[in-house]
Amino acid sequence: MFRLTPVRSGALGLLAALGLYAAFSAEYFGLEILTEIAILSMLVIALDMVAGFGGMVSLCHGALLGIGAYAYAGLTTMTGADPFLALLGAVVLTGIAGFLVGAVCAGSQGIYFIMVTLAFGQMAYAFFFESAAFGGDDGIAGVPRLDLSGLGVDLGDSRSFVLFCMILLALVTLFAAHILRSGLGRTLVGLKTNEQRMRALGVRSWRAKAYTFGISGMIAGLAGVLAAQHTMYISPGLLNWTVSGEALVVVILGGLGTLVGPLVGATAFVLIKHEVSALTPYWHLVTGVILIAVVMSGANGIFGFFEAQLERLRNRSKPAVEGKLKQGSVHDA
Amino acid sequence: MDIGFWVFQTLNALQLSMLLFLLSVGLTVIFGLMHFVNLAHGALYAFGAYVAATVAGGLGYWPGFLLAPVLVAAIGLLLYAGLIRRMRKSGPMAQVLVTFGLIFALLDLTRIIWGDLAFGMELPAVLSGRVTIGSVEYPTYRLFIIALGAGVFGALALILGRTQIGAMIRAGVDNDAMASCLGINVERLFFVVFCIGCALAGLAGAIAAPILSVTPDMGLQILIPTLIVVVIGGLGSLKGAITGSLIYGFVQTFGAVLVPNLASVLIYALLAVVLVMRPAGLFPAKG
Amino acid sequence: MLEVKGLDKHFGAIHVTRNVSMKLERGERRVILGPNGAGKTTFFNQIVGEVAPDKGQIWLDGEEVTQLAVPDRALKGLSRSYQKNTLFDILTVGENLGIAASIHTHAARSPLRDPLRDRAVREIVAEVAHQVHLEPYLDAPVTDVSYGVRRQLEVGVALATRPKVILMDEPTSGIGPEMAHSFHRMLNELPRDLTLLIIEHDMDLAFDVADSITVLNYGEVVFDGTPEAARGSDLLKEIYLGSWEDA
Repeated sequence: MFRLTPVRSGALGLLAALGLYAAFSAEYFGLEILTEIAILSMLVIALDMVAGFGGMVSLCHGALLGIGAYAYAGLTTMTGADPFLALLGAVVLTGIAGFLVGAVCAGSQGIYFIMVTLAFGQMAYAFFFESAAFGGDDGIAGVPRLDLSGLGVDLGDSRSFVLFCMILLALVTLFAAHILRSGLGRTLVGLKTNEQRMRALGVRSWRAKAYTFGISGMIAGLAGVLAAQHTMYISPGLLNWTVSGEALVVVILGGLGTLVGPLVGATAFVLIKHEVSALTPYWHLVTGVILIAVVMSGANGIFGFFEAQLERLRNRSKPAVEGKLKQGSVHDA
Repeated sequence: MDIGFWVFQTLNALQLSMLLFLLSVGLTVIFGLMHFVNLAHGALYAFGAYVAATVAGGLGYWPGFLLAPVLVAAIGLLLYAGLIRRMRKSGPMAQVLVTFGLIFALLDLTRIIWGDLAFGMELPAVLSGRVTIGSVEYPTYRLFIIALGAGVFGALALILGRTQIGAMIRAGVDNDAMASCLGINVERLFFVVFCIGCALAGLAGAIAAPILSVTPDMGLQILIPTLIVVVIGGLGSLKGAITGSLIYGFVQTFGAVLVPNLASVLIYALLAVVLVMRPAGLFPAKG
Repeated sequence: MLEVKGLDKHFGAIHVTRNVSMKLERGERRVILGPNGAGKTTFFNQIVGEVAPDKGQIWLDGEEVTQLAVPDRALKGLSRSYQKNTLFDILTVGENLGIAASIHTHAARSPLRDPLRDRAVREIVAEVAHQVHLEPYLDAPVTDVSYGVRRQLEVGVALATRPKVILMDEPTSGIGPEMAHSFHRMLNELPRDLTLLIIEHDMDLAFDVADSITVLNYGEVVFDGTPEAARGSDLLKEIYLGSWEDA
């Protein structure tokens, strides 16, 4: 269950302010990076919902993003659908895909869950890679952006597009927080804590898992639609399992099961990637070492670390313990 | 499609199966015994291929073939002492992440040491010809791979089934707490098994080097097939590893020639079906 | 209300439940006694569906439930508590009750509403908190309350799904005899139409609540009768002497 503590609302406010400042002050290259951060953030929020709050460590979220991107690109370029309808269609379709994966995988635990989701993700990857209709290896080019000229906004402009992405990200974050405090969200956390007891109380566990996976899929699909609009070109590489693996890395880097952490993680990850790859071609080495260090340190990512430190400070000044925020270290998963 | 076609493709399937077997058997026994998922297993295989190709370039094929498993086992030793021993009590997610980090790091390390260009590897004269089987001419080296895989399978079956250490490993897979109560030094057993698993990954790299191009991402490419084999077969069992390897090898090979458009989707669909019907794989070490 | 017919279960060579039958009327309070390893918990696990029996049938309120999955039996009014606390430690006492209550009202399925603000859920929470004496602790995190309070909550969570039948697996395990007696007084104050099947380790404690007593030994029913008959039974003394003395 998600608790919107003062620390978390503060962090969200700070991130929003920083994002807005960057969106209005950055030049072209900065705006590209900011867009990348916003889209990755949306994907990892989807992942944190299932992995952090539901204990379902998914290695198919890259594929869900890719399905969203392909659905949008396919609908717009092949059937000539209105981009707005295509966006809705892509989100619904990815939601259904997520629901099905969740329903099938609900019975698997631990490493098996990871493996089955990996298999489904790679299945989608192989499908698009070999499908002549979707351009196979070459992908689809000429994907249009939404037409918001009715509102006086030209999404072809980088600054407008990044603001558009950030507004959607803010909505998605609030939506996810709301879901996690709903009956479904609380049931999900109950299942993660003790599935046996929840079942004995009358929870059909596959149902809660499948619905959450479906909602998470919709968010990942929306991220995919934005990714397709951003680069206006898509290829099967979007669905590769390494994308899912990187998303998992971002969630861990930021702080699993905090919803705010993944946003911090996405920002840090994209910045590290661009900063380090400007210095050396071996940015994977740096990322790998950072990842190992974060996991081995036992801290719950960057945000989880700060949260724990602040909590400790607060408890020192005020000896009465007011609940423990320790939730979902990766070592329990 | 005459009989020759079937013989030829069957041999191809067997050769792919045996290569995957060498990789998956290490991964699966390490998992069965230690409950540890080493995603970096594929990176060790790539490392073995590079070592073999480099040594072979200077000293000839056989020194490379022999040195690769030894050096890769040495790396396994370092990994075990530095990382894996500390990660044993962690959940699968932490293990997946740490070894995912290792994949990143090892990938770039191979690029730093050997560069981005593909390496080739010469075959020794004795293995470079072709053998005629009925109406089919088949490369000797690929038959060598099949024989080697079968030999390793036989040896492992013998060791696991008939020897003291094999009995200890089986006891450990079945119940490690019980095994250590019986006076088995489980920690040392883990260590030995981990190193042997790594050595087999190195061996797989060395035999794959002459037929596949040696590139930094070869470990990533083989990882998914290996995981599929292990999961189809069931984690922790030799029987599962060989069955999974054969299933993958045959489905992939015959799929590619008979239904080329569906080949890769086919194997993932098969995996999904197996996992839905039997969530723990076909022959899991524990029921 | 709850009827078990000829329940049989093997684990390998071990016969954990041997042709066990029993019938509970509405509102009956039956205590299951038996030494350690008598198969009491496995018997419970079969009734709620966590373990599938080899043979036999389970009927709940006139309906056969033998083939139903665990959650489906729970939704039909079968609830249980565990010998070891199975609470949600990251939540407060009140939230633990709220989660269970919201499963009963189906508010737990809503992806939009917060069930803990639901009026029906809050009413159940207030009522259960009163029944199991948890009112002072509702806002305390589970990790901050004493072991005895957690035992009360363990039963409270089972009550919050508004069941017809509750199976309680040693509700007083780990708390001293004095507290155990008052725990049983608390159980006696529960609505009389609630059917209870209680595993008790200690024979003395059983007499506090039991309308009837069943004794299991090596998975077999060796006694079925009133508390008075149990008190006088020589067979029981023989079976029970060892663990009775220990307890």
